[in-house]
Parts: sequence; C-alpha cells; structure tokens
Amino acid sequence: MTGRISRRDALAGIGLAVGSAGCAGRARNIAGRESSAQLVLEIRTTPADEDPNGIRIARALAENLDAVGVDARIETMNGTDLRRTVLLNHDFDVYVGQYTEVLPFDPDVLYGLTHSKFTAEAGWQNPFGFTDLDVDELLEEQRAADESDRARIVSELQESMCEKQPFTVVAFPDALAAARTDRFVGWETGPPISATGLLTMDFIDERSGDDGDPVTLRLATADGRISENWNPIAAEYRRYGTFMSMLYDRLAIVDDGATVPWLAREWEWTDPETLEIGLRDSTWHDGEPLTAEDVAFTYEFLRDTSMGGTEMPVPSPQFRGRGSIVESADAVDDSTVRLVVAETDETVAERALQVPILPRHVWIDRAETATVGGFELDTETTEALVTPNEDPVGSGPMRFVESTPGERVVFERNPDHFLVRAGSVDSADAETGEEAETDGDSAESTTGTEEEESIPEPYRGKPEFDRLEVAIVGSDVSAVQWVADGYADGTVSNLGPDSVPRIGRESDARLVSTQSAAFYYVGYNARRAPLSNPRFRGIVASLVDKSTIVDDAFAGYARPATSPLATSPEWVPGNLRWDDDREEDPVHPFRGKDGSLDAEATREALREIGYRFDESGRLLARDQ
Amino acid sequence: MTPLLPVVTSVLFWVAAMCLVAGVAVVGPRRLYGVGENLVPYLRESRREVAALLVVLVVSGIGRPALQSISEVLGLRLTSLIFDLEGNFVAWLQGTFQSPQLTLYFSSVYVFGYAFLLVFPFIAYAALPESTTLKRLIVAYALNYAIGLVLYTVVLAYGPRNVMPDAVTSLLYTFNPEFRTLTAEVNVETNVFPSLHTSLSVTVAAFAALTHGQYPRWTPIAWWIAGSVVVSTMYLGIHWLTDVVFGTALALGCVYLSYRYVDAVEDRDRSAADRNATDQSAADRNTPDQNADDGTVEEPAEGGSA
Repeated sequence: MTGRISRRDALAGIGLAVGSAGCAGRARNIAGRESSAQLVLEIRTTPADEDPNGIRIARALAENLDAVGVDARIETMNGTDLRRTVLLNHDFDVYVGQYTEVLPFDPDVLYGLTHSKFTAEAGWQNPFGFTDLDVDELLEEQRAADESDRARIVSELQESMCEKQPFTVVAFPDALAAARTDRFVGWETGPPISATGLLTMDFIDERSGDDGDPVTLRLATADGRISENWNPIAAEYRRYGTFMSMLYDRLAIVDDGATVPWLAREWEWTDPETLEIGLRDSTWHDGEPLTAEDVAFTYEFLRDTSMGGTEMPVPSPQFRGRGSIVESADAVDDSTVRLVVAETDETVAERALQVPILPRHVWIDRAETATVGGFELDTETTEALVTPNEDPVGSGPMRFVESTPGERVVFERNPDHFLVRAGSVDSADAETGEEAETDGDSAESTTGTEEEESIPEPYRGKPEFDRLEVAIVGSDVSAVQWVADGYADGTVSNLGPDSVPRIGRESDARLVSTQSAAFYYVGYNARRAPLSNPRFRGIVASLVDKSTIVDDAFAGYARPATSPLATSPEWVPGNLRWDDDREEDPVHPFRGKDGSLDAEATREALREIGYRFDESGRLLARDQ
Repeated sequence: MTPLLPVVTSVLFWVAAMCLVAGVAVVGPRRLYGVGENLVPYLRESRREVAALLVVLVVSGIGRPALQSISEVLGLRLTSLIFDLEGNFVAWLQGTFQSPQLTLYFSSVYVFGYAFLLVFPFIAYAALPESTTLKRLIVAYALNYAIGLVLYTVVLAYGPRNVMPDAVTSLLYTFNPEFRTLTAEVNVETNVFPSLHTSLSVTVAAFAALTHGQYPRWTPIAWWIAGSVVVSTMYLGIHWLTDVVFGTALALGCVYLSYRYVDAVEDRDRSAADRNATDQSAADRNTPDQNADDGTVEEPAEGGSA
C-alpha cells in the first residue's frame, strides 16, 4: 500500500514538473484515484468472563476471515459498552451477540429487527441498518395477513432474509444452569433465566422456613448490569430482561407457548382493530394505584420518550417493534384501556401486550432532554433513556430492596401482588368458591375468582420465596462454584465449555438444561461497505462453521440454525430447517470440510462477485 | 454469605507464616527484634510517603468505578493491537508447559507468593538501622500504583483468557474459582495493561538486589518468587507478554525515581539539619560556659536521620 502511495506522489510530482497540460491531466487522472488497501473488519463481542460463547464464535470467524485475506480484528468490550456502541451509536463493522428473548417468539420479532423504517433509530430496532424493499413488504404483509396466509408470508420472509443475511444466525444455545435441588425445585419447568421460570420455582426445604428467616432464593451471575441499572428500556443494560419482568408487570405473558392475561384481567376485540383490556386491581410499589392512564401512557412513551417535547420523537430502544403495533392507547375508565391497532393478526396484536407497564407519575418527569451537569449534550436523548432508575417503582411480583454495584442486588416479594392474592383465594376457595361463582355480580367476590381463573395454576400464590438475592461473580466458572459450595441455589449466567464439566464433578450441583430462543448471531453493519453488499454478507455467512462452533464453543449444548425462528419450528419452511443428515447450512453452507476452510474457493467466490486481491492474497477494499 | 472470608483468612494465614519463617531466616532474630522499635518512628519519619501511598490506594479503591466509566468512554481500546503485536505467545506458553503441578504452583505463587513478596520487605527494611530503604520502598509502591491507575484509565484492554478462551484457559479461576472472589475485589478485568503483579514484584526484586549487602539471603528468594509471579501472570492466562514488558519497565522506572526522590529529600533534610546544627553551634559558641565540644558533634548526626 505504501508503494502505491509513493508511486502516486511521484506521478503527481512528475506531472507538475513537466507542466504540460496533457501530461498533468493524465497524472491527475491516475493520482486522483483513491488507492485500495486491505479490508479491515473489526468484530466486537463481550469478553469470555461475561459470556464464554460469543468470543469463541468471534474467534472462529476471525480466523476464517484472515484466511481469505481480510484483516479481521477482535475487540472485546463489556455488555453495556457493546450495546452502547452497536445498538445506540451504530459504530461497528461486525459484532457477535445474543438475542434477548429466552422463550420462543412470534415471527413479528423480525419486524423490529429488520424493517428499514427503524434504521435511523437507536436501539434494538434494526441495529444493522438493513434496508430491503422486499423484506419491508413481507414484514408489513405478515402483520396484516390472516392466519392461513401468514404462514406462507413468514416462510417467504425467512427465505428472503436468509438469503440477504442482515445478520447470520449461528446457533440456539441450551439455557444451561448449575442448580442445587436441596432448597428449590422446578429449575427445568421454565428456563431459570426467564422470569416465569424463576417465579414458578417451588421451595421444598421446610426446616429452614421455620426459624423466622425469610425464604431466600440465591442466584449467581457473571453479568453485573443488574446491580447497576434497573431501567427496563435501557437497551445497554438488559440481557434477557429477566429481573425487569419481575419488577414490571406486562399486560400479558407467554406461558407454555400461549399468551395469557397477566396485568390484564381479560381482553376483548370490540372490532377488528380495537382491543379493549380490563386491568386487574393493582398498585405500584410506592403505593400509588395502577390505572388505565399508566397503560395508555406507556404505549405513547415507548413511541416517543420525550412525549412530544422534542422536534423529532425519541423512541425507546427496547420494545419498539412491539410498541409499533399499537396505533393509539386510551384510558376508557380507571381499569379499562382501549388499544387501536392497524389491520393486524391477533397473535401479533397480543405481542403488543408484552411490554412492561411503567408508572406515569415516575416517568413523565423523565421525558425531558437528558443533561450532564445541567448541559444538554444531545437533543436526541431523554432522561428516560439514560436514567439508571434507582429505586425502581414497578407493580410486579418482586420489588427492589438494595444493591451494591458489582457485588449483589436484592429483591423482595411484593405482598400486594395479584399472584399472592390469587394464592390466598386458592386456599379460601375450598369454603367459599362455589358461592363466589354463582354470585357473579358482587364486585368484591368476583375479583378474586376471576383473577384465579385467568392466572395459570403454576403462578397462583407465587413466588414461594420472600427474597431474591443475585450475587455478581467473576465468571461462569465462579458462578458454578458458588452453587457447588452452597453460596447460591442456581446460576443465571451463560455457561461455557469450561464450566459445564465442573458441574459434573461437584456432587451438590446439577446441570439443568432447557431450550432457549436467545440465539447467537453475527450482526453486520449494512451502513458500511462492503457489508452493505448482501452478496458479500452471504460469503461472510458461509465462513461461519456452525456445526464446528456448536461442538467447540458450546460443548454440544446448542443447535446450529439458519432461521431466527428455529425454536418455533411450525413457522420454518422445510428448506430452511437444519436437519442432521445435511449437517450444513441450507442457504450459505460452510466453505470447507470438517472445520477446515477452503480459502482458495472462497477467494474465487469473492472474485466472482467483484472483489479483488493483491499479489499476497489480501482482499482489497476502498473507502472504509 | 460469600466465599470471600475463607479465602482472605487463608491468604492472611499463609502470608503471616511465610513472613515469620523468612523473618527468622533472612533478617535474623536479633535484627527482627529491632522491627518493633523502629517501625513506628520509621513510619513517622516517612509520613509524607505513607500518606501518598494511602491516597493512591484510597483513590484506586473508591474512584475506580468512576475511572472505569471514563475509560470505557474515552480510553484507548488496545486489545486487538496488543494481540497483533505478540500473537499467540501466551497460548504457546500455556500450551507447551501446562501441567497440573505447574498450575498449582503458579496459582499459589500468584496469590500467596505475591502477597508475601509485597509484605515482607516492610518487615525486612524496618529492621535496618536507617529508614531510608523503607521510605524508598513506600515511594516506589505508591508510584507503581499511581502510574498503573493512570494507565488503566487511559488504556482499555482485556487479557488473553478473555480474548482467546479457546486457546488460553483461565487456569487460576478454572481450577481455583474461589480466588476469583478475592481478585474481583482488587481488580477489574479491563485492567491488564500494564501488569501490576509484574511491576510490584520486579520492584521488590530490584530492591532485593540493591540491598544485597544487608540481606544476602533475601535476594535469591525475592528473585525466585518475583520471577515466578511474572511467569504466572502469563501462564495463568491473565496477562499478555506486552503487559509484562511494560510492567517491568514501570517497576525499574519507579525504583529509579524512588531513589532520586528519597535522596533529594534526605539531602534537603540533611542540609536543613546542618543549617540548624550550624545555628546551634553558633549559639553554643555564644555561651562559652557550656561544654561546646559534645554538642557540635552529636547534633547533626541526629538531625541527619530525621
């Protein structure tokens, strides 16, 4: 590269020296062209301590990129930092990350992730800067389509996305945990990394409950963010949103694949575009009553956290896709709220009910523009997006007690929560149940019964613990050791290949494995050349050896996949399924065999789509 | 309840035991006796230096989260640069020499040996008839920490175990996860450049060489432990070779500066004391009825050690 520059300088010099118009013009024509240099791609991911799997994927990809002549560099950064630079600032080439939903999700997730209308926004909404007319159209269609058509459209959408690779799905990891079963059981019923999984845990150690000490569920994690920040919409700080879902109720939750009423007692379609929702009797953790106003506020707030206070709306970096389903939300009375959705499939609309409901009286003050020491640095940020939300006020089954950053965080059971009430109704039911059912019109007795009916049985009277303590530890291996030594009941960290065998060696700890929908992926910044080129992304995707990565980085505790919807197989067309006979990606198969890359064939493929290499095999690129 | 207490207890126990043994073997029972008498006056004499060390430690203890935030926003991200610079050296080191015995040895040295190495010189140098060496040591420690803190803020980098877990195992924490609870108290994972384990160990080793005359037995012990600590930081996958090289340079720089500083301070004190003594002797001469001979000789000597 230096050779070229000096030649260019020399030519320019000669051109000037000769001074003849024709010769100088020729020199300008040559020297005026930008020269090419080796393509540098930086891969960002979290360090091994925080997440043992992502860095291994990044390493494997970097090695293969290097082999085909790209200068691939890995930059590790902590989870907050990674999210900040990638999701908020869009300052990245390639990154390895994990999706945030643990439980299988509706295809409408892709709307938020890839619709081009979100490219300018900061947050989980299209961080890739992916813009594609066909994909946009399919995303719109699947929202509006009725059930029979939707499957076909979603299939088409996946085919289109798998071809264009806004991001490369690598694998769906098993949600692994080390757990003790001497005090709590039920680790397998829901992933312990999900709020529903934790809430339904059963306490079995009767003897320690008697001495008056609160029953405490103790967890260990290597992710310290929950001890620093409790803002449910701060994308930098949330991993799966497990603890936020325990602090903040949602109108509905997903239980065993079905949407069930939660903070909403029930809902009804009054016409194809209007959903009327009745709320349960509920109060915020600070004692204020929760009303329909709070719900209506939340939907408006997610769309624009400045509440109209800035020239351009400042949307929430989380829940944006879901929030966009709702066109307007109005309080009919204190406990009834009306959501207007555009022509939308019912299951898609139900997805809109799964956003955390925020207390208006706390968050309305956070609609102002964020300042640092009284100075406005950036008018596109509101206080709501940057507040750590100390002493979070939610309405959920757990409330915040205290925290020491980097060490631990403590929550306690909210005794006023409807789950607790449903539990007490349950026990009282034996005597008065029938009476309550026949006497349907009496308001006092119906609340209890209706709550009982609409709350799925496993949640009634839960949680069984009075306190929830989360200890922040150094790494996945430490978390396992805490469980083995009896300092914690279970881990809520991602476990890597070094920690899994350790569980087997410890007699008191068991390995719990549940399926997770939080897939690992390689994200590309389509705003930057050459990652803007879908053909180039396709070739990068074919450098990801998913089978080998699953064996090495996940010690086999993951399933390679092509479609982001692989945990909802009913949506995935046959030609996109990863079957074990084929052992390779159906769309962008790995360019090599048994873990070793065929670099020359990959270079040839790159040449075919218009890329050039210098004499030592380095991939050349312009304007980086 | 956390596993921190048992770990701290065992470190304290082993360090105390090693100090006792080394105290008898290196310093000798008679000189060891002097420690009790000297320690308080010596520390009082070096109160400025002790204060400086404490300030640095407190700032690093309390201000670290804030400095860490600054580092995340403004720091230089050098992980990939360091990796480009040295490549797979640490992976090679670990891959070539890894064995359960060595892992046990280096883990113990990294935690117990290092703690002993840092504490013991205080005892040894407090047993010397002059406070100068102790003062130099304190200054050198303070400089190491202070410069280390600045570099940690300016440079944001992760160690080999975090960047190449497929090639470098985090041996210390994988086989002794309880140590993780201890090191998490005193360190942050992005603080790898330079290696303070290296710089402080090399500092102690350098002092051991410079005080070879007083403690001939300490020199080989200090060198052996310091050398082991330096290798352990890489063997255990915690630091890059680059961190170690810069840590060594930092140590030598700090030792040099501590000599320059303490000599300068003592020169100044001595000349101040001389001036006092001159005034005193002048005063003495004005009162000829006192026995002037004794006073003039003794006064400067006492002042010099102040």
